[in-house]
Amino acid sequence: MFNRGFAVLAVVLLAVGTLSAEEILDLKVPAGLKPLKIPADNPLTEAKVELGKQLYFDPRLSGNNEVSCASCHDPKHGWADSKDRSVGVPGERLGRHSPTIINAGYQRFQFWDGRAGSLEEQALGPIQSPAEMNMNLDTLTKKLNAIPGYRNQFKQVFGTEVTAENIGKAIASFERTVLSGNAAYDRYKAGDEAALSEGALRGRKLFFGKANCSACHAGSNFTDNGFHNIGVGIDLAEPDVGRQSISKLSGDRGSFKTPTLRDVDRTAPYMHDGSMATLEDVIEHYSKGGIDNPQLDEEIFKLDLTDQEKKDLVLFLKEGLASQNYPMVEVPTLPE
Amino acid sequence: MNKIKWMGVVLALLVSSTCVTAAEFEVVSEGLYNPCGVAVQPETGHVFVADSGNLKVVRIVDGKPQDVIVDFGTDVYGKGPKYQVGPLGIAFLDTNTLVVGGGGSPDGEEKLYAFTVPAVGEPAIKASEANSAMNLAPGDEIKGEGNFYALAVTNDAVYVTCNGDDTKGWVSKATRDGNKLASFERYLATKEAVEVDAPVGITVSPDGHLVVGQMGEITVPEDGLVTFYRPNDGKMLANFPIGLSDITGLAYSPGGQLYAIDFCWNDTTKGGLFQLIRDENDAAVAKPQKVSELDKPTAMAFDAEGNLYVTVVGSGEGEDTSAAGKLLKITGLK
Repeated sequence: MFNRGFAVLAVVLLAVGTLSAEEILDLKVPAGLKPLKIPADNPLTEAKVELGKQLYFDPRLSGNNEVSCASCHDPKHGWADSKDRSVGVPGERLGRHSPTIINAGYQRFQFWDGRAGSLEEQALGPIQSPAEMNMNLDTLTKKLNAIPGYRNQFKQVFGTEVTAENIGKAIASFERTVLSGNAAYDRYKAGDEAALSEGALRGRKLFFGKANCSACHAGSNFTDNGFHNIGVGIDLAEPDVGRQSISKLSGDRGSFKTPTLRDVDRTAPYMHDGSMATLEDVIEHYSKGGIDNPQLDEEIFKLDLTDQEKKDLVLFLKEGLASQNYPMVEVPTLPE
Repeated sequence: MNKIKWMGVVLALLVSSTCVTAAEFEVVSEGLYNPCGVAVQPETGHVFVADSGNLKVVRIVDGKPQDVIVDFGTDVYGKGPKYQVGPLGIAFLDTNTLVVGGGGSPDGEEKLYAFTVPAVGEPAIKASEANSAMNLAPGDEIKGEGNFYALAVTNDAVYVTCNGDDTKGWVSKATRDGNKLASFERYLATKEAVEVDAPVGITVSPDGHLVVGQMGEITVPEDGLVTFYRPNDGKMLANFPIGLSDITGLAYSPGGQLYAIDFCWNDTTKGGLFQLIRDENDAAVAKPQKVSELDKPTAMAFDAEGNLYVTVVGSGEGEDTSAAGKLLKITGLK
């Protein structure tokens, strides 16, 4: 009787211990942001986020062991790239600028053309792309399974060996924790009238008014998650058609996803092609009415902003949307 | 009345049954060109349609469109596919007075019209012969309004969904003086309230609340909202991320059930008629239950007997929809 009771207790304790390791992470989002939806088939746990962080920073996920997700989506550069076009494993410039992953968990679509419907799906794309990390997924799973530190973590987190699907889930889970909020704009909106300087306040008024920014950069994440043609690059001989390559709708020609503006001061250069070095360049583009073309969004028109208005708008973007707790993450110790 | 009681009021307006109705469909009229508005005339039961691409409002008699108001202005909506449009939303103030939302002029010049409709057999009148016509011109830091897509009529006002200033998403309000419009002003900044663009569908609940369908971005699926407002002061009472893509119409059946039509711009094969019901697991959540597929539905209206009339753009050769539009009659709804 004693032995049976002890055995039962042991099983209960083991079960409790296991449940604690799998405890769902209650992600606290910064002020100003809405609660983040987590997919039911990929709940957040601390262990999964930690695993995802390691994978994110690990250059061994690339064909030449030199390129990681962080190489192009660098926390030191607003989780984007300071180059207009990143350079992948083959040493060639990519077709588009690497977008920030800040608040990517709120985005309805991933990539500039929205071809991925989730972070999980997106995470595996660059790994396999010959131009980017140039790593076959079968080869990658074998490689990581040969690293005891990864094999053990995948067992603990997913109950399986390393699989491609779970690599995507882990990286996506980590990316969901890269959040920017609690900016001066949020504090002002919450009632702190001193949160924004006079110039930034004027800029805020322009943002939501004359400058028409909030027609697309709307909501708590400053994006409508939609696709718009604002004319960037459309005047090239062979322009990037953007969303049209996915939707096949002629009206989507030259349309790209509206990015978030959270911590936008850190994510230069700007636009899908990285063609604008500064926020001043961006404001100038909008002020002159973009670049005319048959699919130019109806929300893009000449704004005729004065020099002072342009400065105020830039000040609002820089001062108003900078997170008080920028999500800086240091490179973790990678498993062996 | 506190917030929870208001929520109860609002939620009571959604179907308490989760049963989807069994519906039957009839094509009442076809050969229309991007029809964008439908209204049932009080007392007569005649059905009027904004035959938008043909720049006129028609009365359907024995399945055939008869011109009632002609010569509206024209514009093109969309960048591919593109739709020629003219008059958009229509609604009756009384048996003889029809309000029409314009869609064929630039923002700021677009008009909301009130007409005395000619009787059956009388010649059509021109858009310029309105009893009154009002616009929402640009002002200091205010953009002009346009594309008056849908109308909802209460005892003392007409509420109009507008698609000019995308930073505000205005629902505007017109008052009447007899058979004329007396005033027209911007009223509810829906985008500031719900952070989603494009109010399009609108109706009045049996309890007198304004119910607005936000279309959201046409490039983003499933971002539509259904929002309830108190009309006398514009206070938002409840907001439901309903899971539809591009709500173009809302209407209550005489039995008090709320229906929506979804154009589903991104993939029009998924568009249709939906009954909006309360989630069986969470009373604070509303969801759509598909009644039927529809080929690009644009407007809807119930008659007093519970028959639903829906206009659809339809599909023609390639992107040509110049004769593909239909008026459908749907019976058997709750």
